[in-house]
Amino acid sequence: MVMSASPNDDHSSGTGRYLQQSKIQAALGHAQDLGASYAEVRLMAITDSSVALRDGKLERAIPGQEIGVTMRILADGAWGVHSTTDLQSLPGQVESTVRLAKAVASRRASKDRPVALAEVPILENEIHWKPKKDVRNTDLDTKMHHLMTLHDSASEDERIVSVTCGWHDEHLHTELITSEGMNRTWSFQRSLINATVTGRDGGDVVSYRTRHGGEGGLEVIEACDLGDLGRSAQIATLRLLKAERAPSGKIPLVADRDLTGVYIHEALGHPCEADLVAAGDSCLDGKLGLTIGNDIVTVVDDPTIRGGYGAHPIDDEGLDTREKCLIKNGVLTEYLNHRETAHHFGIAPNAGARAQDGLHHPLVRMSNTLIQGGTHNDLDELIEDISYGVYACGSRGGQVDTGRGSFQFAAQEAWLIENGELTKPLKDVSVSGLTLQILKDVDGLTRDAKLAAPGFCGKGQTVPVGDGGPIMRISEALVG
Amino acid sequence: MLPDDAIDRINAGCKSIGDLCKQQGIEQWEIVAYQSYGHQLDIEAGKISLAAGGGEGGYGIRVVEGGRFGYAYLVDVASAGSALTQALDVARASPSIEGFVLPNAEDAPAVDGLFDQRILDLGPEDLLEQADAILSEVASLEPRAVVTGGGLGVGATASAILSSQGIESSGITTSHGIGVQVSIDAEDELTSSYEGDSGRQLLQDVPACVSNAVKWAQITRGPIEVDSAPQDAPVLMTSEGFSPLFSMVVPTALRGDRLVRNESFWSGKNNEQVLASDLSLIDDGRMAGGKSASSRDGEGVPTRRQILVDKGQLVGSFWSTRDAAQQVAEGRITNAQTTGSAVRGGHQAPPGTGCKDFTMVSSKGGHSQEALLERMGDGYIVHSVMGAHTANPTSGDFSVTTSTILRVEDGQIMGPVKQAGLSGNLAGALLEDVHLGDEVRIQGSYSSGSMHLPDVLMMQGLRINPA
Repeated sequence: MVMSASPNDDHSSGTGRYLQQSKIQAALGHAQDLGASYAEVRLMAITDSSVALRDGKLERAIPGQEIGVTMRILADGAWGVHSTTDLQSLPGQVESTVRLAKAVASRRASKDRPVALAEVPILENEIHWKPKKDVRNTDLDTKMHHLMTLHDSASEDERIVSVTCGWHDEHLHTELITSEGMNRTWSFQRSLINATVTGRDGGDVVSYRTRHGGEGGLEVIEACDLGDLGRSAQIATLRLLKAERAPSGKIPLVADRDLTGVYIHEALGHPCEADLVAAGDSCLDGKLGLTIGNDIVTVVDDPTIRGGYGAHPIDDEGLDTREKCLIKNGVLTEYLNHRETAHHFGIAPNAGARAQDGLHHPLVRMSNTLIQGGTHNDLDELIEDISYGVYACGSRGGQVDTGRGSFQFAAQEAWLIENGELTKPLKDVSVSGLTLQILKDVDGLTRDAKLAAPGFCGKGQTVPVGDGGPIMRISEALVG
Repeated sequence: MLPDDAIDRINAGCKSIGDLCKQQGIEQWEIVAYQSYGHQLDIEAGKISLAAGGGEGGYGIRVVEGGRFGYAYLVDVASAGSALTQALDVARASPSIEGFVLPNAEDAPAVDGLFDQRILDLGPEDLLEQADAILSEVASLEPRAVVTGGGLGVGATASAILSSQGIESSGITTSHGIGVQVSIDAEDELTSSYEGDSGRQLLQDVPACVSNAVKWAQITRGPIEVDSAPQDAPVLMTSEGFSPLFSMVVPTALRGDRLVRNESFWSGKNNEQVLASDLSLIDDGRMAGGKSASSRDGEGVPTRRQILVDKGQLVGSFWSTRDAAQQVAEGRITNAQTTGSAVRGGHQAPPGTGCKDFTMVSSKGGHSQEALLERMGDGYIVHSVMGAHTANPTSGDFSVTTSTILRVEDGQIMGPVKQAGLSGNLAGALLEDVHLGDEVRIQGSYSSGSMHLPDVLMMQGLRINPA
């Protein structure tokens, strides 16, 4: 049976680790003997818990433990990868994985460069971001209490026909051992609570979802006024029942913190991922050092923001994470990269490698991405000179075509702006545009940049992210 | 790829956990196991960038006591005892659903075409050769075209279910998938298209999705000027463009629990017309070779072919055993039974409810693209959309963006539009004057199942907003 060894086999041996260092180092050495220039084994053990509440009743509660391990081998300038839930089988896969890498390398055209990795500091240590309240110690009653608070406040109206609340927490433990001598272990937690509220009035049915969460344990949930979160969702749902369809066309757009975050994630963050740039699939190829946005636009991606849903202490290639400044005053200053793309572009590695779990290999990913604040004091000041526009709030998600540089994101609700004031509530607002145009059209930002609601980013693999910023004004956007 | 004794091993694991349940005197229990193996290649920048292989799997345990259920999952049979304790703890904290019991064993004839020995026999070298063939094909079709992303893979999954109610079933399914992002970056213009193909059976070395990706990257070049004013217009959505939106909105609206809880735009419309009078929606859990078909559903209940919408009238819905018992117990419906529509995404969660292999057909039959364009007159063809996942499954409203859109005038394709918004209410757009193409293609989806859809011409209810 190919299943994982029990974590208890090795984990309880006193080291606090799952991987047996001597066995793994022997396997990596074997890979080098077979011609590998680099090899690594990365393990991730996830202890998680999901709870769902539907109309105030426990729908499901699922405790779980997953463990996965991925061996990545670079031979002849190409990658071979093996992933499994069976830790013990890993040494036996070294030869076939080296063969895989060499088979890929043998197909490389003479014009193509072999894969190589940027030099990085070789570290041997452990970093554990301790939560204030370890979420693994949170019992089901406590989770139910918080979910009920959210539910009760969201459902106080007869037009609310359904409230579904969810909880997810996870403790992530990662170990990385490489043929270069890197030997690192790190851990942290994430906690999340959410609700989807459905309202109905006659034949009209609408829904609104809300989320709160971040890196950390139970304290993340306790820091949120769940009653207020639920009431806000309820009010928004009822407002949507009366909302009109949004106008279509190119008009001024003001986006709240949530949407500003999704906008910058989709429109700029993804095209800044160096693996996409190297693949010829980014509109920002060749634009490092060039002005691509209004000079009020400064964007950072920062995994070190504790509490952000995309926070993590070490990237999945073993580098200490750090802030990356993607745009400084409108100038493209840095791609997000990992070791392979850092070498490809001849730039310093900036710890942008993330994998979904222990069964996936790392890709270049965002973490906590936000636009820095500007000079406007508040929303009123941003909209006071807009005669006709839209103020869009809350995110339903977005998508980008990084190559074409076109993006789309959708709002949960919106308001019509008429003569400098918010007038009618609107629904079904989506915004689309071209990255290289719309960054120049950002012409107003409030001072207070903060991370907004937590999110998830898909790029073949799904990873938690944080994004946000201030309230943002775009002089002209395609609203649909 | 798959160990010879893979099925024996997961059956033994299920039995071991089942024996533990019996020892603990658990009223009802159900064990599922999945173990997948596979090989895959990633393609970037016109070359194979990575080759990977491996396996993963685990077990899920559902226990039911007095209508209360609990669930836990694990990867190692040795930790079944603690997982079982967790599942029981959850069950005891859960509300009782009157009448909820696990389903009893019933015969479930096998479904053909879910396994292909040729896939099991494929090794990484075979995939590398297939990737070479795909890259060569793209270069031969369009010298400027580059496969900037995508990949291909094969897999085999051994699965098993064992329950206290006598359900004992196991089997192996195979899969083969290919997806390519083709870009043409020349003369200061970059166009691209992503196309994919997948199935239970071995695909052709170079499936049609490859030339389609090249074609759409080509024909969207050189955008023409169109009136930028938003306009209500007929839209012909190709199967590839329509499926993401359709799968995001329609299967969810047909879930029985959502219908009776007023969470669907079709709530309260049983036996009423909800689609154009020639359209029917059918879910076939037993479709031979179906990407989502199986002899049993996620609870071990035999799957079936069922009509959800018959010539425009809502006549059916998706139910699992638990959903049916819960909604009856809560008084939202007087009678509901499982329709064999329990679905699982793996061992990490209890079964949900959804479609399998889902089709939309017209009693008027299908039409050629030429005939559809002639009927359209002036309008647009949309081949892919961005943001389908932001469509609202509760209301059916959507507002998405497309960069693969062609302007049609007087039934003739005039040329591509650089970018446009597309919005409307999908349920409303399908309510009348809908015409289907004559070639059904299989698409992935945002739902639990696979979509089998032709091109769809919607004459009303949609708004185009050119950039």
